[in-house]
Amino acid sequence: MLITLIHRELLDNLMTFRFAATVFIMLLLVVTNTAVLIKDYERRLAAHNDAVKMHQRQLDEKKTYSAGRVYADRPPNPLSIFSLGLDKRLGNQIEVSHKYVPSLWDAYIHESDNPFMDMFASMDIVFIFEVILSLLALIFAYDALAGEYERGTLRLVLTHPVQRGHILLSKYISAMFCLLVPLLISILLSIILMTISASISLSPGDFLRIGGLILTSVMYLSIFYLIGLLISATNRRMRTALMLSMFVWGFLVLVYPNVILAVFPHVENQEVRRTSAFNQIEQMWEEFDRKRKHFLATDDFPGEDWGLELRGWGSRHAFFSDNPRTLLYTYESVMQFDGFGEEDEHKMPYAQNHFRFLGSHVTATADRTWLTRKPVLEDIFIQQANMERALLKLSPVGIYDAVAQAWAGTDLNGIRDFFETTRQYRRTVINYFTDKDVFGSRQWFSADKGAADWRSLPKFSFQRSSVEVNVKRALPEVCLLLLINLFMFLLIFLIFHRREV
Amino acid sequence: MIWHIAARELYDNLNSLRFALATFLLLALMLTNASVHLREHPARIQKYNDAVTFHRNHLNTAGNESLYKLAQQGIGDIFKKPSSLRFCAEGGEPFLPDSVQGGHHRWGSNWGEYSLESFWILAYPSSTPNVINVRPDVTKVDWGFIIGYVLSLIALLFTFDAISGEREQGTLRLMLANSISRHTLLTGKFLGALISVSIPLTISVLMNLFLISTSSDVHLNTEVWSRLGIICIIAFLYICLFLALGLLVSALVQRSAVSLVILLLVWVIFVVFMPNTLASIAGEYTSPKSNVGFEEHSWQLHYELRSEYRPRYIAGESLLKKLQVAGEYVIQDAEQQERLHEERLNRRISQVKRARTITRLSPVTIFQHLLESFAGTGFERHLQFLENVKEYAQQFRIFIVDTDRGAPESLHIFGMREGMSQQPVAPEAIPKFQDTLSLSKDFNTAATDLLLLVLFFLLVLSGTYLAFVRVEI
Repeated sequence: MLITLIHRELLDNLMTFRFAATVFIMLLLVVTNTAVLIKDYERRLAAHNDAVKMHQRQLDEKKTYSAGRVYADRPPNPLSIFSLGLDKRLGNQIEVSHKYVPSLWDAYIHESDNPFMDMFASMDIVFIFEVILSLLALIFAYDALAGEYERGTLRLVLTHPVQRGHILLSKYISAMFCLLVPLLISILLSIILMTISASISLSPGDFLRIGGLILTSVMYLSIFYLIGLLISATNRRMRTALMLSMFVWGFLVLVYPNVILAVFPHVENQEVRRTSAFNQIEQMWEEFDRKRKHFLATDDFPGEDWGLELRGWGSRHAFFSDNPRTLLYTYESVMQFDGFGEEDEHKMPYAQNHFRFLGSHVTATADRTWLTRKPVLEDIFIQQANMERALLKLSPVGIYDAVAQAWAGTDLNGIRDFFETTRQYRRTVINYFTDKDVFGSRQWFSADKGAADWRSLPKFSFQRSSVEVNVKRALPEVCLLLLINLFMFLLIFLIFHRREV
Repeated sequence: MIWHIAARELYDNLNSLRFALATFLLLALMLTNASVHLREHPARIQKYNDAVTFHRNHLNTAGNESLYKLAQQGIGDIFKKPSSLRFCAEGGEPFLPDSVQGGHHRWGSNWGEYSLESFWILAYPSSTPNVINVRPDVTKVDWGFIIGYVLSLIALLFTFDAISGEREQGTLRLMLANSISRHTLLTGKFLGALISVSIPLTISVLMNLFLISTSSDVHLNTEVWSRLGIICIIAFLYICLFLALGLLVSALVQRSAVSLVILLLVWVIFVVFMPNTLASIAGEYTSPKSNVGFEEHSWQLHYELRSEYRPRYIAGESLLKKLQVAGEYVIQDAEQQERLHEERLNRRISQVKRARTITRLSPVTIFQHLLESFAGTGFERHLQFLENVKEYAQQFRIFIVDTDRGAPESLHIFGMREGMSQQPVAPEAIPKFQDTLSLSKDFNTAATDLLLLVLFFLLVLSGTYLAFVRVEI
């Protein structure tokens, strides 16, 4: 019996104009958007490669270690075609240096982009599903029960020995099957387009992630179908059900996600916290400065000049710089000498000694300030954003968006993985410097006895997190989606069961 | 008779669920919009006023020192005046920089006899608010969103069954059996729907304006009110377009459900996807060549110029000759750098312009462009601001030359301290920056969009007439 019902419903749904029209429009949108997104990805990848090359070249040109700037560049994520998330937004180049611990807030975006173009929002594939498939789900659902009631066919069906649960189940299964068709076709189309492009290579892990994305999409659509079914079960007239469905759709998809954050304002009430943390960090650096001066005053070399009165041919400068907004505070000394006169030669051991001391001391102070800086930045920037994300999750659209980003690795966690890697890389660089005594070497400030050897420096590389990590990040919200589904199905079942026909 | 039909249509709607839901939704959105504006606008004004005071002081201090200092430091950072109608159209303002940098000290160099200081240039900073922003990305709830997106959807929901619904119920046949012409019926239907949609819109707009105008933080003058009037007229025109579209599909299609599906798909394509997808397509295929290493390129040009002038300076036989060469170098360098910055800016602007032209295929973009023009926000307004700044920079340069010419002790060698007047400049003599915005100018920029919107409307309306006159009942 169930099979017969499903068969009937399936034919009912598949052979309609609404189904054909929606699928056609959706495939059209998916194909155009995928093409545009792939092009955009290729451009970002090219810009990334250019930047990596440029940074390497600029590094190689520097003859002294203190003048060289080591950069880490964040490659674009190929799965951003499905869910863009924060991939395009947050900084994608950062200097890795012993003078501060790199974090999200110290990164920059390389200059290749046209910043004006950010005015136009980018549409990823998940957004198309979010808008069109949810609409299709509601269009399938609004007349599922109300329509049959109005036409009287529900009565007719129930005169047969059919359980009401079976009717619901058959409607649900057939509608979900119908929704699955456009979903799978569009994902398949976009994967085909992606494989055609030479610059995108999807790993087996990526296919697993896309699988997770499909699973989540099905759950999301199921929620919208169930919302429509609920409206259909509680309303006796098709027109009312239709009106209500459309308003609910407009509210959940269009209005709520945009309005809710305006209603709850973004308060920057952390100003006190920020100032006190900044003062603390400033004090640490002042203490560093005292120690530095103390070292210069007590060493065997007369005079207290930081560069030990080196004259030479070249340039040297040292300065503190700070940014109270991101709590950044650094001390930097850059020296590029090509050679020295006779009178400078006896100062060399003292200079090397001093810079060795500075190197380890700057590193230690930077590490120490990071302990203060990290929790405050977390509170100021991340906590507020997380609260806003939680508010967005009151709509299924918000949950779906969050899960899709988690699968694609374009959510905040995915981006922070990169900065975690840069911190590890900084450790590696510092260890390399200490092992080879770079801080205390002559190449630190002068190129006259051989230039800095950048070739043997460990290279930076960033791997996206493994699939297990993605699963772990997506799982809570996937469970939430599942729970909402179950709850709504039960609710509809109860309402439908007790309803007069 | 028309009014009779319109009134019947109106009564029908007033009692319906959709009317209640639409009123509630619009009111909530408009009130949110007003409260957000009242919360954010005073801070924007404050920031602007502080920047203007700072700018004024900066000019006066430089002028007090000497004419050379003023000429070297330049016009300083100039800020864009925030629009008091930003609640109407946000227009991507966060992505547009709010200032132009005029006078950034780039380098100083000692050439033996003379020390050189770089002259000011106009540089255009880019606004990247998102680099450290980890907050979720949402559309701003401005009038452009409320009317352009939400109200257009509501307008379709009010008209999708206007004709097909009556046909389904059989009342259309009944009505046409009386001596009512089809034109009358259609006009009546249209007016009825227009009035029913206008009621919630008018109420919510009035509430919104009431909240904003009664607040002491925001001041609206007469010009602003006339701009608001124009914006409201445009909003009604835009709504009429969607009502006509709803009637068109409703007349063509036999069943209301089909009519709704078609309308929703059309709406999703034209309103949700077209604006951004078309912009991305236009942007992707016309993207300027990679700018990686702009800074590097700029310094490279600087060094090339120096290696050209340095030998000439050393070869200079007299001090005066050396001074002239050095002055020429400083001025040349500033001009070269400014050209570089301007070229990059123009490349970026032309890309955005192309993208904006193509997105005009979508009525919602036309509507939003119109709103931006009259609200004094958005891209066109930014271009106007840049134009004003360039004009001011020109005026400033002429002022420097004229003042120097009037100073008897000056050698009239620009670019060098020793070659220019050392007299202080009176603060009131320094030209002031005026960020002019005139309604007639905005009308000119908006004319094309306005015509396009009217054209769209007339096209759909005539289509509706034709469809309804020829349709079988």
